[in-house]
Amino acid sequence: MERSSVRGWGVRWASVLGLLLVLSSGSCKRDDGASEADGVVEVSFWYAYGGTNRQVTEELIASFNASHPKIRVKGTYQGDYFEALAKVRVASRTSRGPAVTHVVSESLPALWEDGLVEPLDGYARGEGGATAVDLADFIPALSQDGTFDYLGKEVPLFALPFNRSTPIVFYNKKMLADAGVSPPQTWEELEAAARTLTVREGDQTKVWGFELPISWWFWYALLHQADGRLLSEDGKTAMFGHAAGQEALGLLVRMVKQDKTMKNPPGRDYNAWEVANTDFLSGRVAMIWTSTAFLNYLTENAKFELGTAFLPGFKRKAVPTGGTFFVVMKGRPEAEKRAGWEFVRWMTEPEQTKLWSQKTGYMPVRRSVVESAEMKAFYVEHSNWRTTIDQLDHAVRFPFSPKLLEIQRDLLQPNLEKPVVTDATVESVLGKAEADANALLGR
Amino acid sequence: MGTQRRGGGARWREALTGYGLVLPSMAVFAVFYLYPVAHTLYLSFFNWNLTGDPKPVGLGNYEALLSDEVFGEVLVNTLTYSLATVAVTMVGGLGLALLLNRPGRVYGVLQACIFTSYIVSWVGVSLLWIWMLDAQFGPVNGVLSAFGVSPVDWLGDPDLALWSLVGVTSWKTVGYDMVLFLAGLQSIPVDTLEAAEMDGASRWQRFWSITFPQLMPTTLFVLITSVIMTFQGFDVVRVMTQGGPVRATTIYVYFIYEQAFGYFKVGYAAAAVVLFFVVLLGVTLVQFRLFDRQRREEAP
Repeated sequence: MERSSVRGWGVRWASVLGLLLVLSSGSCKRDDGASEADGVVEVSFWYAYGGTNRQVTEELIASFNASHPKIRVKGTYQGDYFEALAKVRVASRTSRGPAVTHVVSESLPALWEDGLVEPLDGYARGEGGATAVDLADFIPALSQDGTFDYLGKEVPLFALPFNRSTPIVFYNKKMLADAGVSPPQTWEELEAAARTLTVREGDQTKVWGFELPISWWFWYALLHQADGRLLSEDGKTAMFGHAAGQEALGLLVRMVKQDKTMKNPPGRDYNAWEVANTDFLSGRVAMIWTSTAFLNYLTENAKFELGTAFLPGFKRKAVPTGGTFFVVMKGRPEAEKRAGWEFVRWMTEPEQTKLWSQKTGYMPVRRSVVESAEMKAFYVEHSNWRTTIDQLDHAVRFPFSPKLLEIQRDLLQPNLEKPVVTDATVESVLGKAEADANALLGR
Repeated sequence: MGTQRRGGGARWREALTGYGLVLPSMAVFAVFYLYPVAHTLYLSFFNWNLTGDPKPVGLGNYEALLSDEVFGEVLVNTLTYSLATVAVTMVGGLGLALLLNRPGRVYGVLQACIFTSYIVSWVGVSLLWIWMLDAQFGPVNGVLSAFGVSPVDWLGDPDLALWSLVGVTSWKTVGYDMVLFLAGLQSIPVDTLEAAEMDGASRWQRFWSITFPQLMPTTLFVLITSVIMTFQGFDVVRVMTQGGPVRATTIYVYFIYEQAFGYFKVGYAAAAVVLFFVVLLGVTLVQFRLFDRQRREEAP
């Protein structure tokens, strides 16, 4: 048992030292992101922009910090939209969360109902020393009021639009010209064009006519094109399981299973979107629908001339908007919220929104930008950047239900592809989702 | 040495040293392990969406789980994935070990090659196989088409996707089982085998009567670690299929992740964690029993 006592002491000292280290690490300087040394307010901004968008975001943050000596915005990339959203929700319970973040439209109702985000009406009017903003200059369809059907509720301003988008059609001009096909205006034309454009060799499909992730956003477009709606006017009943919803999903099932003219890219969420983009770029598909947000990326990487067009219509033309809004988190100290407001206000100013739009493909959110001489000249040369804006005439809104995100993410998204990849029928899949949604809404 | 009686002071000092030594790691263990486990159990009795205050629901989450159709699918998926992978890697690992348990540099290099896939990160392996298994342009279908097989949608077909993941997982981990079996094989005394050979025992007889029984402790160890490893499968699903198509590859841990961080149903996810814990505890106890019996049988 008795080893060298020298070593024994060494071990003892080491253990004491180790213990001290453990204890002292708990009493390190606390950094809750709100250090106000030298009168500089630090604002933590969590974002979910990857790739090019991330670079542009960081550039914008740097130029904001350079022009605002009293505020220092610190941007942190937090993964994709939904990963970031989970982190924001968790962090809102701690003292270390962000003061500013941006979230997709569908998650706004729950964030508002849960009381996590700051009402912005007062700031926008310039109360308490905040810089006022001309709300009328925001493009109506892209503003909070234009994005949501409030279902009869009173909801104040709490979100400013920034990177807003719609899905648009991207097509390979050469393939369409060679086949003598023009961009489809209706579902019928879409099916016919896809048939003409699909190239088969034996049992291999060399080129697909059409490719689309079986995804909530696109189905939501189709649902409204078939003149349907997600929820009743009071928001208490789900209405997507019948005629219109079935026609919407039925179109995709028909094109994948019967016509075999549409590829359903594997993977969930944005993984499938990436596959569709890659297939389009490498000439394996003639037409895809995806967000206008990929316009710069696709244009830069395509080795062919690409065209863009409105989504086709069925009973009517319809397109949902997408992308995100800025929100200021309610739980942060006043100074940070004011600085946070200053940041989101600045980001949505004409100058910044113009730069953001040109560098990414998202829409500029201000009327004054779209109507400016400079942008008009830009659109003459880059007509593809204009498609999404003109398409806003057909924009449809989301119901402002706190259950919207759960209906989308849990009840619909994982099940929409079921009739496409299994033997389940459109009726049974949507019927079940609708019943589940009604149970959820009734709770 | 060492039997000498010492004063109370020395003994106390020794005890203090002992506690001092384990305290830091115990503190870390308590904060990062015990507390989350206890808190998970607590949360499983509440509805909580990551914000606001949890609402107590008693056993509601457990009842909802057990009547959830998706949860049933997930259980079947998890068992299929786990058992199939364990079977393939154990048989494959043992086979490779028997084949490559020879002296010489060539065999050493071969062993190393097979083991390397185990060292590569799951994300790397998953990305590699997304490309390998691409329905239209992947090398796997490329090779198959040379034999006239029409393209297979490995990850997009709900009847196949889970089996593709079994294949990828087995490819990655079979080297680990092989190394363990090699170590086991090399600890079997050569004289026993030689004696049996002299007595005219065939290869087959030597394997079943000597090698296999002597490998039993290794086999049990591999079985336990493989079952636990596959039950905890996550990365490969997260990167390759995100649980789809539909829910064909949603296995247990991915299901928990999706419920908690995709749909913010934290209490529901916590209840699933607790059930999972109970099941794994049961599996481990059974396996310990087997170990125990094995040890007693081995005792002279």
